[in-house]
Amino acid sequence: MSQTLTRRQMIGSALGLALRPRLARADTSLRLGLTPVFLDNDAVVIARLRDALAEGTGQLIDLVQRRTYAEVTGLLLEGGVDAAWLCGYPYLQHENILSLLGVPSWRGAPLYQSYLITAPDDPASGLADLRGGVHAFSDPDSNSGWLVTASDLSRVGERPETFFRRTMFAYGHRNVVRAVASGLSRSGSVDGYVWEVLAQLEPDLARATKVITKSEWLGFPPFVALRERIGTSPVTALQDALLGMTGTDPGRAALQSLQLDAVTPGHPGLFGGIRARMQDLAG
Amino acid sequence: MRLSRMPLSLRVPVISAGLMVLVGLVASQQVLSALGAVQDARLRELARLHIDGLSVALGPDVLRRDVWEVFDTLDRARSAMDGKRMILTVVGDESGRVLAASDPRRAPVDSDMSGLLAGAGTLATISAAGADPMVRVAAPLVFQGRETGQILTELDVSDLVAERRRALAALVAGNALAISLLALGGYVVMRRILRPISLLAAQMESATGLPEPIPGDRIPKGDSELARLVQTYNAMSGAVEAKAEAERRLAERERFVSLGRLSSSLAHEINNPLGGLLNATDTILTYADRPDVVRSSAALIDRGLRHLRDVARATLDQNRIDRNGMRLALEDFDDLRTLFEPEATRLGLRLDWAVAASALPPLEAAPVRQIALNLLLNAAEAAESGGWVAFAADASDAELRLSIRDSGAGLPEASLRRLLTSDPMPPGGGVGLRLVHDLVAAGGGRIDHSRAVAATEITVTLPARAPC
Repeated sequence: MSQTLTRRQMIGSALGLALRPRLARADTSLRLGLTPVFLDNDAVVIARLRDALAEGTGQLIDLVQRRTYAEVTGLLLEGGVDAAWLCGYPYLQHENILSLLGVPSWRGAPLYQSYLITAPDDPASGLADLRGGVHAFSDPDSNSGWLVTASDLSRVGERPETFFRRTMFAYGHRNVVRAVASGLSRSGSVDGYVWEVLAQLEPDLARATKVITKSEWLGFPPFVALRERIGTSPVTALQDALLGMTGTDPGRAALQSLQLDAVTPGHPGLFGGIRARMQDLAG
Repeated sequence: MRLSRMPLSLRVPVISAGLMVLVGLVASQQVLSALGAVQDARLRELARLHIDGLSVALGPDVLRRDVWEVFDTLDRARSAMDGKRMILTVVGDESGRVLAASDPRRAPVDSDMSGLLAGAGTLATISAAGADPMVRVAAPLVFQGRETGQILTELDVSDLVAERRRALAALVAGNALAISLLALGGYVVMRRILRPISLLAAQMESATGLPEPIPGDRIPKGDSELARLVQTYNAMSGAVEAKAEAERRLAERERFVSLGRLSSSLAHEINNPLGGLLNATDTILTYADRPDVVRSSAALIDRGLRHLRDVARATLDQNRIDRNGMRLALEDFDDLRTLFEPEATRLGLRLDWAVAASALPPLEAAPVRQIALNLLLNAAEAAESGGWVAFAADASDAELRLSIRDSGAGLPEASLRRLLTSDPMPPGGGVGLRLVHDLVAAGGGRIDHSRAVAATEITVTLPARAPC
């Protein structure tokens, strides 16, 4: 009798051990906020990133997408997500309460550029030629998709609202390319990394635009978390998974989809250029 | 050939074929019109769904003047439709400026929309009926019960136009074939149905001039109406034949009748000399030894017999069957006088006889003699005792003119109708005058009647006609 009970208890314990990690995972899935700093419309890319982070953390990953940078930043600040892939501009806006988890490295460096694009047949060769046109920005909290052009104008004493006849926010770098390619807007400010990836994945769309100017190299959109949560297990798990992506098959597959080399630890100094532009804009 | 001049047996099939062509055309028109209505309804429903769907999706964005979102919605709608049907959709704000279009190059942001709106129909009026492969429709953009802008869309209807064109081609080909077969079939069937009519017409115009009956094996079977018609026709043609035969016999008999009417006079004419002749033979027998008496009596007998011979010859001539075809001669008028004079004498009538012609036009003798004799007998009957009858014959190369006058009271109305018209004869009464009418008509001549004071004149003019 006691043996039977013991056996049952043992079987129950074994089942409990087998089930516990899965239940625990479901209860404590990690939430990562995503902004359109990359091709966030590609379901395969999203799935591979989730698989890579799930593999790296050993937990379920909930990737949270929102239309605007502000919404994702808001989620991060209020604790709705454990970490977020933000643009350098909102990171710097909240630098005092945010910390870097890692900075992706693209083509050998954690840097990227902002591109100014027009239709291929447009005679404009620089920002100054685009006066009076319709211009598409990506997001008011985007460095490459707004700040770079706005600060460039600010440096010459102009404001986007008056320099251009009309401006619009397309909320997504791919949308900016679409706006320019379709003729909806004459010009657009777009993430150089996204444009280059598009040129390979959707060459027809990218070829319907041309890059007329490129900004200086600026800090690549980083993964960030609330500073106060640095060291907590979800954040640490996420950071470890991000930095260790090159070490796992799913991680490498995700990086390949994103056309990134790796996620590096990074440091705030990478974002000096953006900080300078913020200061120029603030005047 | 004009339709009204076509024979009935051709006209009816042609008309029936024409009617079938007309029915085919009307039916084709109806089908096309129905197809057009279905297509228009489909197009309007499609356009309405398209615009309603976009209105719902775009409402908040138009309200916010969100150029990108409006474009994004239009662009995704265009992609979803795979570039089919929707060529262009333009959304404008309340002031008529373009907010965004599915093809911004055709309708740039902030441009004036009025150029595009020109020629655009409404949801209730658009139609794919024309040859234009595109229709343009404009509608207000209503959001939350308020008009927030307007939406204009160009729809590709080339498939509908092509469908209608295919339907038209199929209808034309199919109907042409069907109508041709039906028209041909109708023509053949009508020809068959009307064949008895053609036969009837042919039999009526037979070479003999008389309607000929249709043989029993050619009477249509199964169609009681046409069969009855043919049978009736056969009965009528039989009746016509019988009537012609009766008339022929009547005319034949009339010769005897007229002679019959003369018989007593002729008998007297023969009888009268007989007394004298018998006296002469008695005289010869009594005075056989007196050559002078015998000679004078023999001369008397000779004259009497010659007279009798003339009378007999005239009577025989009048009645000879083989006289048909003989040409009229002046002797025929002598014969007529020989035949008629005793009758005039018997009736106590004065007879004036004047044959002025020295040569006669070519004419058949028998009808002329019959005409003259009948009219003379009629005149003798009309002229009362103590009256007179006058006969005159005059001729040129072209025609013969006979004039018969009498002192009678004139021809009664019924007799005049018999003589001068072809009206049906009332029962009773002689056929002599009608025979005159028929003979003159057959000879292509003319009868004139005139009535003067105490005299009636009937003139017959016969054109020259060689005896056949």
